[in-house]
Amino acid sequence: MITFTNILKEYKINNETIVALNNINMHIKKGQLVVLKGASGSGKSTMLSLMASLCKPTSGEVIIKDTKISKLSDNFSSQFRQENIGFIFQKYNLIPNINVIDNIILPLIPTNPNEEFLNTRLKEVMKLFNIEHKKNIIVKNLSGGEQQRVAIARAMINDPDIILADEPTANLDEKLSLSFIQTLKELKALGKTIVVATHDPLFFNLDFVSKTINMKNGNIIDYGNIID
Amino acid sequence: MFLNPQILSITILDIIFLLFGVIVFFISIKIYLKWDFNSSTSLQYTLEKQSFLSAVIIKYIFYLKLPLFLFFIFTLDSLSNIIVGAMCAAGVIDATSYGMSLFILKIANIYLFGIWLLIHSIDIKYPNLEFTKLKFGYFILIFGLFILEIILELMLFNSIDVSKMVSCCGTLYSSSATSVISSIFSINSHIFVYAFYFIYLLNIILYKIKNAYAFAFSNILFLIISIVSLIIFFSPYIYELPTHHCPFCILQKDYYFIGYILYIALFIGTFYGIATAVSSYLDKQNKSYFKISIIFISIYTIIISLYPIMYYINNGVWLN
Repeated sequence: MITFTNILKEYKINNETIVALNNINMHIKKGQLVVLKGASGSGKSTMLSLMASLCKPTSGEVIIKDTKISKLSDNFSSQFRQENIGFIFQKYNLIPNINVIDNIILPLIPTNPNEEFLNTRLKEVMKLFNIEHKKNIIVKNLSGGEQQRVAIARAMINDPDIILADEPTANLDEKLSLSFIQTLKELKALGKTIVVATHDPLFFNLDFVSKTINMKNGNIIDYGNIID
Repeated sequence: MFLNPQILSITILDIIFLLFGVIVFFISIKIYLKWDFNSSTSLQYTLEKQSFLSAVIIKYIFYLKLPLFLFFIFTLDSLSNIIVGAMCAAGVIDATSYGMSLFILKIANIYLFGIWLLIHSIDIKYPNLEFTKLKFGYFILIFGLFILEIILELMLFNSIDVSKMVSCCGTLYSSSATSVISSIFSINSHIFVYAFYFIYLLNIILYKIKNAYAFAFSNILFLIISIVSLIIFFSPYIYELPTHHCPFCILQKDYYFIGYILYIALFIGTFYGIATAVSSYLDKQNKSYFKISIIFISIYTIIISLYPIMYYINNGVWLN
């Protein structure tokens, strides 16, 4: 499903080369839930960015669903993302001054879907993430947990096979974090492939996590226990 | 060097084009020699990034060159007011021995850059960037002409001498001149008119048949014969003057700038006609190009044909 082959990712800042990922090789199977754990600067977010084709490696290949996404041009990357990937950001990246519905349907706007399909899909995801009763509320007036549910609903609106979450519980209290973890469990049960980058200890000993990849300074230290 | 605001603007843009053109030229050589799309090395990723950047630069040079070409004509036309003997851009172009070569080169470069853009649009249509090497190899070839155009243009502006008398278009485009154009005047003008309409009809037939290569060839012929027939036959009807054959005076206000409309229609039509062959060779999808081409050359044909027809209706005689 997701394969990294000899991935090297360097950033150049003020003539200094910083190695974000160093010779990464890994494979994630369809339907797995993988946790990338490590301290800040260990390369977790860069891994997610490469999976989402938001950036390109310095060398090596990222293959998702038999497509070399690291070789795609911007146009094709966007199309691939739109069709296959849902992204949940740490700070949600919602548009604060528009309502819940308008935020959720954003990823579908470029595809110009018909109204019937849009309404059906919208109802499905709002029901799934329990935000139907808030659908007309302006997003900035929602609580943190509610905003996150909107962000998840937005990531799911295009029914992606792959869900990527970057520090999804960083802004949540423990109760909401556990609720989010329960949501991930439900998404995994739906057959979604999920990759979560986090350093939140709540994720580390979950029985439904397929594998936990431990990262440090751009290297994979260990792959943890592989469940499935 | 004679400097006025227009010449200064063109010169500054030329220098900017030259600077960016040289950068892209060196990147193009690197891409042409080392491109391997299947490779995942650091070099290949760098080349991919550089190819996108270079494509953007070439695109913007082309987009600026299009209006700049019209501005160049406009500038030459305005210079005719201060150069002794010149009545329009034709006199300014004739002020140097390479003026006409520069003018033809400018038109040729627009077509060549347009074809580059076409190859580029086909290249980015598919994820494996199949034609990247071809498009940058092609850029290396046309870069020489691009540089030559800039050099000739700067030389032209540098050699303009307002005190030196030049010929007016009435002399240049007449049988009394000693140029290649003047030799055409010895041929019966009706031959060019028949040839013009024959090739136009041929274009329509080839449009129906959708034979891209023949259509492209026919469009090249149409471009040449359109300009010649405009000079020899149609222009006197635009000026309503049997002895005036200048292809530049029609760009002036006195003739409602009709020349701009005619030339734009002719160039767009014939460019898309030629594009059908390139597109057919690389992509097999060119139906819209056929349509655009035939629409624009038809616009040109209709407008240019209206002049003699209206003249005949109004005056009851033909000029030639």
